[in-house]
Parts: sequence; C-alpha cells; structure tokens
Amino acid sequence: MSSLTQLLYTARDSLTAQSYGLSVTGQNITNVNTPGYVKRDPLLETRALGTATTGSVTATGLRRATDIYIEKRELSARGSASAASEHDRQLSSVEALFNDLGATGMGSALDGVFASFSALAANPNDPTARTAVLGAASALAERANSMADALADTKNDLLKQAQATATEINEKAASIARLNQRIVAAETQGEDAADLKDQRNNLLLGLSELVDVRTIAGDNGSIVVQASGTTLVEGAESRAFSIDLNADGSLKLLATSVGGSSTSTEVTQFLTGGKLAGIKETRDVDVFDIGQKLDQLVFDVATAINTQHAAGFGQDGVSGRNLFDVGAVPAGAARSLRLSAAVAGNPAAIAASGDLASLPGGSDNAVALADIFNTGLTGGRTAAETYGDIVGDIGQRKSAAQQYVETQQAIKEQVQAMRESVSGVSLDEEMVSLTKYQRAYEAAGRVLSTVDQLMEELINRIGR
Amino acid sequence: MRVTEGMRYSQVLANLANITSQHAEASQQASTGIRVGKPSDDPIAAAELARLSASSSQTKAHLSTIDTVRGDAELTESTLSDASDIFSRLKEIALQGANGELSADDRKTLGVEVDGLKDALLKLGNTRGTRGYLFSGSAVTTAAFDAAGAFQGNDTAHTVQIGNSTPTAVSTSGAEAFVVAGGRDVFADLQALSTALAANDLTNIRASIDNVSASQTQLINARARSGLVLSKLDASESVLTSLDSEQQKRAQTTGAADPYESYTRVTALGQSLERAIAVSRQILDLGGNNRF
Repeated sequence: MSSLTQLLYTARDSLTAQSYGLSVTGQNITNVNTPGYVKRDPLLETRALGTATTGSVTATGLRRATDIYIEKRELSARGSASAASEHDRQLSSVEALFNDLGATGMGSALDGVFASFSALAANPNDPTARTAVLGAASALAERANSMADALADTKNDLLKQAQATATEINEKAASIARLNQRIVAAETQGEDAADLKDQRNNLLLGLSELVDVRTIAGDNGSIVVQASGTTLVEGAESRAFSIDLNADGSLKLLATSVGGSSTSTEVTQFLTGGKLAGIKETRDVDVFDIGQKLDQLVFDVATAINTQHAAGFGQDGVSGRNLFDVGAVPAGAARSLRLSAAVAGNPAAIAASGDLASLPGGSDNAVALADIFNTGLTGGRTAAETYGDIVGDIGQRKSAAQQYVETQQAIKEQVQAMRESVSGVSLDEEMVSLTKYQRAYEAAGRVLSTVDQLMEELINRIGR
Repeated sequence: MRVTEGMRYSQVLANLANITSQHAEASQQASTGIRVGKPSDDPIAAAELARLSASSSQTKAHLSTIDTVRGDAELTESTLSDASDIFSRLKEIALQGANGELSADDRKTLGVEVDGLKDALLKLGNTRGTRGYLFSGSAVTTAAFDAAGAFQGNDTAHTVQIGNSTPTAVSTSGAEAFVVAGGRDVFADLQALSTALAANDLTNIRASIDNVSASQTQLINARARSGLVLSKLDASESVLTSLDSEQQKRAQTTGAADPYESYTRVTALGQSLERAIAVSRQILDLGGNNRF
C-alpha cells in the first residue's frame, strides 16, 4: 500500500515523463520540415520497484518510427529514378544536336550539297555554281565536325561528371563510415543515437541518388552499405570508387579494397542505379551509338561523293580528285571530314564533266553526283532516309527515357509517401500529443498539490 | 493511411508541377501551331519530317534547275524558229532566182541578200545563253560555227536531273540542227544558193530549191525537238510543283498541331490548373493549426 510520500514520488515521475513526452513532441514539431527527420515516439513504461506496484512511470527513451523494408525500397527507388532522370537530362543535349525541326541538325547541310550539285548540272561552266558546290561541301564538313565535336564534348563532360560523382560517393561513404563509428560508440554507452541515425539516413538517401545502394544492418546500430555490387562501407571503414577508361573509351568503375589498399576491383558490370548509372548509359550506349551512326552516314556520303567526283574531270582537265578528305574507315569520319585540299579554293577543280571531251560544259558527272542522294548507301537507305532514321532513333531514345523517368518518379514518389506515412511528422498528431502530455502534466501537478494538501492537513492535525 | 505534413506538401507540389508542365506544353503547341518541335515529341513523325524535308529540298532544287535551264531552252527554240524563218526567205529567193525572166544582175542582187542571211544565220547558230554557246554541245565556250559555217562544237547533250528518273537532255544538238549530222549542212546549202545566184547558174539555183527546203525541214525538226524539251520541262515543273505542295501538306499533317484540338486542350488544362490550385489551397489550409 503506497504512502503519501510514495505518491509524491509517483507525481514527480509523472511530471518528468510527461515533460519528456512534451520534449519529444516539441522535437517532432521543430523538425516537421527537416529532410530525413524520422518522427520520434517517447517510450514510457511503468516503473517497477522490486515486485511492488508503485504505479509510477519512467521514460525509457524514444523510438524512431521507421520501417527497414520501406527504407530499403526507397534507396532502390531513388537510385532508379536518379539514373533515369540523369539519362533523360543528358539525352536532351544530344537531342538538341539533331533537332532539324529547330534547324540545328545536319539535314539542311546534306540538302545543300545535293542542291549545289543540281545547280552545277544546270550550268556546269558557271563559276558561281562551282563556288556554291565548294561552299555547300564545306558547310557539310563543318556541320559534321561540329556535331561530332559536340558529341565528343558531351562524352568528356560525362566523364568529368562521372569522376565528380565518384568523388561525391567517396565523401558520402566516408561520412557514413564516421557516423557508423559514432552510432556504435553512442549505443554502446547507452546513449540515444537517433539524430546520428537521421544524419546517416540522409547521407544514404543522397548516396542512393548517386549509385545503387543496399544496406544490411550491422551490430550496435552500424550498417553495411553495398554499392554497385561491392561493399562500400563496413563499420568505420569505407572503400573509394574511381573512374577510369577502357581501351574502347567506355567508362570503368573501380573500387579500392577496404583499408586503402592500392588494389582496385572493377565493379562496372554491377552498376545499376543512381546518377553514375545514368551517366554511363548515356555516354557509353547512346552517345556511342549515335556517334557511330553519324560517322557511318558521313563516311558513306563522303566516300560515295569522292568516288564519283574522282571519276569526273575539272575544268582544268584533271580527274581523280576527291571532294572531301575523310578517313579510310567510318570511325571518326564526322569529326575529321574536311574539304579536300585538292579542290579547296579552286572552283575549277569541281568535276562536273564525266570525260575530257565534254569539257567545259559537260554536266553528266554533276548529275551523277546529285544522284548519290537518291541512291542507297550502307543498308540500302539513301542519305536522307538514313539521317531520318538517326533523328527517329534519338527521338525514340529520348522519348523512352522520358517515359521511364515518369515511371521511376512515380515509383519513387509512392515509396516516399509510404516512408513519409511511417516516419513523417503529422502536425495533427503532434498537436494531439502536445495536449495529451500537457493535460497529463497538469494532472500530475494536481496530484502533487493534493498530496501536499493532505500532508499539510495531517501535519496540522497531529501538531494541534 | 497516416497522412503527414510532408505528404500534403509533396502531393500539392507534384500535382501542380504535373498540370503546369502539361499546360505549358499545350500552350506552346497552341501558340506555335507546332506539335513536333523536337524528335522526342514524336520520334516517328520527326524521322518522317526529316525525310520529307530532304525530299522537299530535292524537289525545290529540281524546280530551280528547271528555272535555270528553261531560259536556254526557250532561247534555243526561238533561235531555231528565227533560223527557220531565214530559210523561208531563202526558199522565196531561190524560187525567185529560178525564174528564167530574171536578169543576171537581179540574181546577183538576190545573191547579196542571201549572203546577208547567211551572216544572220551564223549569228543565230552562235547564239549564247546563260550556259554559253547554245549549239556547241558541251564546248560552251567555243563558238558553234566559224565564219564559213563549219561546226566547231561537239554533240554532247546537256543533261540535268529534274526528278528521280533518268537524267534529261535539255540542249538541242547544233550539229543535228545545222550540219550534216542532221542530214543537211544548212550553211553549205545556203552557200550553194549564194554561189549559184552570183554565177547566174539557173540549173544550180533550181537544184538549191529542194536543198533549201530540206535544210528548213531540218531546222523545223530541231525546233520541234527543242519544243519537246520545253514541254518536258513544263510537265516536270507541273509534277514537281504538285509534289512540293503535297510534301508541304504531309509535313503540315505530320508536324503541325491541330488548332482546334490544341486550343481545346489548353482550355481544359487551364481549367484543371485552376481546380488544382483551389484544391491545393484547401489541402494547405488543412495543415494549419487553426483547428487547435
């Protein structure tokens, strides 16, 4: 049977516990907009004193409202959404290069060469028509160069972005490792590590946007972080990612051994998510494919024109001259295409005539040159058809990337909503909690004052 | 489901961003009239537009070629018409000279006129167009005939491409029109008449009548061939103009936005946006603390 004194202690414990509840509620309200903040619930228990029932209460700590499975799904969803978003963003700049609808493509340059040959055939002896051929050929070469340069710049930019992303991953991994250490230390000493866990969670969310991430719960609040199929963080140790290039120019993701050993392991094949995956896909798949197709088109057109041009005769009676300088293989053709030195600045060298006897007004070779644009090149498609195919291909890639972004974004938002539903702060709830603890505190105060009155009454009566 | 403040704000943001983005896209389509502004808007249409653009450029280049060569073809036709007219007069002179009552002096006078017509015919034979000498074949910088009427050009036809068919010859052979490649050497026939008139040689004057007639026929045939070239150019121009119009129509159908549909969409999305803003306001008001 409890005494009045015991009741005093009970009221004191209640005031402390309700005060703790108010404090946690205040924390929740304060952090309602803090990214990554996980709602806390105060843990109140009845205080046992041996086997006796005292009816007292104690605050044993707090609980972070989390769901480990939802958190894992969020990491994965963020990684996929980030990869898709980066892929889509990077493809925008590639698409802009081939936007003939916005007059930035190569279609008009190809048309210009055809039109110049056609005009030359109409008046083969006209210096203006000959100069126009040189101008159109030069414009085609410049356009091909600038598109290939832009693709090469995009690849270089993406390499730098990949390297910067790897550095960012390493910084986050190192921070997570440090937090792991502090969390373990705090929990070992029986301290609350909720804030540290929030910080670590925030870093994990940030990391998941850079690379695909999986987590495994370790001992004493520590976590193991796996990224791109390898362990990135384990306890207080983290590995470092670095970017290198393969012999074919594609990106290579390397991971150093834990402990800072100089040995590196290639983990590129396991890279599936995050900004890094988006960068790699754009650079090594899309830009590479489009560059190859552009090179093939430029090579085919330039080679066909060169062959026909060399078969004809310039006004000076010389044949065998190429109109373009282009390599022997398609690789790099767009970037290296130049107006041949044999014809540059020399309109008379344009071979409009098919034979010596038809000089200077023969037009058959000019007609044949124009006809190249109606003839199937590699794959049996004309230059215009092939170029249209490239434009369609880029559009298809960009459109698919956009749709994928929308899907991944929706999944991410759904998972985020699930996490928010479990871990987010609801002001409605907190206001109710605030009232709940406030009322309980007031009631405990009333118990205290009642006990005080009773004791005063007792003392006064006994003393009389 | 437990609803938190973060969920409310995220939902409001996502909804507004989604509708605003759709509204902006629809407004752009409605204001520009362009449905396919970049390849990803409609990849298949973009590829089709790229091909149509190339086809349209080729059609325009063919039309431009027709414009360029038509001038010379018309000049050729009118030149051969003038040459034929000269031979009409030569025939009259030959008939007049064959009249036995004419004196030798009269025939000499007619011979002087024939010489003058020969000079005129030479000038016609050496007419220059935009490409050079009309009747020199591909030797456009060389006069087709020397002072004696000897042919100095070649028989290479001027060919151009005015469609996706085989190249079309748009020149008229000077050799076939004026010299033996066509059957008669018109200058030689003209010279024979001149010589016969000067020599008061009635027999050869009478013999020249048929030759002059044959020469004129040769020129008329050449003119007819040049007329055929013009007809071909006209026919091709007509086909290409229709094709160009058709290509533009197809490009319009493929890449342009339907004005009624796009305006309707903008209006509908504008209303959706207003509703979304109103709903957002309500959602955000729910998050206020005025209930407590």
